[in-house]
Amino acid sequence: MKSTLVTAFILIIVLLASAAPGFAHHSSAMFDQTKTVTLEGVVKKWELTNPHSWLWVDVKGKDGKVVTWGFEAEGPSTLARAGIRPSDFKEGTKLTITGNPMRNGDPAAIWLNAVRASDGKKFDPRAGFAVK
Amino acid sequence: MRFDGVILRAATLLTLPILMFSCATTEAPGGPPPAVSPTRTREQNIELGRQHKTAEDLYKALKEEAKGGKKLEWNGLPDFSGVYSRPLDRGFNFDIDQPKDVATSAKLTPEFQVKLTKRLDDLKKGIEWDPISTCAPPGVPRWLTEPFLREFIVTPNQTWLINEMVNDIRRVYTDGRDHLPVEDRLPIPNGDTIGFWDGPRLVMHTNQLKAGIYQRGNPDYTDQVETVEIWKKDDDRTMGVDVWVYDPPSLVEAWYAHHTYIKLTDPPRIRYWDCGENPNNAVFQTKDGTTQFKDLNFSDEKKKGK
Repeated sequence: MKSTLVTAFILIIVLLASAAPGFAHHSSAMFDQTKTVTLEGVVKKWELTNPHSWLWVDVKGKDGKVVTWGFEAEGPSTLARAGIRPSDFKEGTKLTITGNPMRNGDPAAIWLNAVRASDGKKFDPRAGFAVK
Repeated sequence: MRFDGVILRAATLLTLPILMFSCATTEAPGGPPPAVSPTRTREQNIELGRQHKTAEDLYKALKEEAKGGKKLEWNGLPDFSGVYSRPLDRGFNFDIDQPKDVATSAKLTPEFQVKLTKRLDDLKKGIEWDPISTCAPPGVPRWLTEPFLREFIVTPNQTWLINEMVNDIRRVYTDGRDHLPVEDRLPIPNGDTIGFWDGPRLVMHTNQLKAGIYQRGNPDYTDQVETVEIWKKDDDRTMGVDVWVYDPPSLVEAWYAHHTYIKLTDPPRIRYWDCGENPNNAVFQTKDGTTQFKDLNFSDEKKKGK
C-alpha cells in the first residue's frame, strides 16, 4: 500500500514536471499554472526577443482604469514555427488573450492562446514546439 | 592560341563555382561506408554502459570494436543536412523512455537521490530555480534535451553540433587528436569532445564538463560528468543519439538514454540568440529558492523613472 502511494506521488510529480512549458531560460514557477485568466484588450507593444517574447496588452477595467498586462511566450523562432509573425500584433490590435497569471498578482501571465478581433485568427505560441 | 586561352579561362570560370559548391555542401554522392559495430537494443546499450566503469573505457571499447574507425572523405560524408528539433510529445526528461511511474531512470547515489526528491517536492510547492536563468548555456549533457533548432555540420576533421539556444556550438574533433592534457583541463559548459567515424556513426567522448542539471525536474550532475555518444541517422528525417553518462559522485552506474531530433520540413531561419536583449526577462532567486522577475515592468512611464 505504502509503495503504491509512493509510486502515485512520484507519478504526479513526473506529470507535473513534464507538463511544464518548454521555456528556454527561467522556470515558470512565478506563474500559477492551475489558473487561467482571459482578458480583452489592445496591443500596446510587441517584443519579439530571446529567450522570451512579451506581448503588452492594455486592458480597461470596469472602473475605466487601464492596466498594462504582459504575456510571456517563447522566442522568435519558436513563435515562427507556431505561425506567429512580427506583423501580427501592431499597436492598437484588439484581441482576447488567455494565460496563466502570476502568483503574486502582478499583471503578467504565460501566454497560452489569443484570438485577434479583426479576423478571428488564433495564436497558440506553444504550437511552435510541434515537430513537423 | 589566343582563342584556346579564352576557352580555358571560360571553362575555369564555369568550373570553379561548381567545385566550390561541391566542397561547401555536406551532401555526399556515395555516403560513408557501412558501420563495423553492431546495432544494439536499449537493453543492450544499458548493459554496455554497466560493463564499462568509465566513459573513457567505453569509448576505447567502441573504438576497438570499430577497428579504430575510419576518417571521412569529402566525397563520402553522411547527410546530416537540415534543421532539426527535439520532439516534446513525450516530455522534457533526459531519458524520455524511462518508465512513467519513476522520477528518473538514473541509478542515483543516495546524496543525489535526496537532492532530486527535494527538487520534486519543491516543484510541487511551486518552488523552482533553473541554473540557466542567468543566461548561462545549458551545457552538456543537458544540451541534448533542449527543444530548439539544431544544425549538424559535418567535415572530415570536425563536426559541429549546433543548438540555436544561446548560439551554442559543440565542436567534435575527428582528426585523431586526443583530449587536452590533464594539466590543461578545466570545466567548461560543453567540455572537450573527440570522436571517430564508424561508417555513418559518429562516436564521441566528452570530458571537462561543468556541473548542472539534466533538465528541470531531473537530477543534478557534477563537474566529474563525462559522456559517450553515438550520433547516427535513424531514418531520413530522424537523427538519433545514444548517450551514456558517467558521473561517479551522482550515478551508481552509467545512465543510458536515446535522444531523437526530427528534421523540420519548413524551418524558420536561425537568428542570433541574444539572451540579454530584453530586461523584462531578467530574474533572480528568492530567499525561498524560487524564481521571480527582477524588474518586470510593462509601463513605459515607470521605465523612464517617472
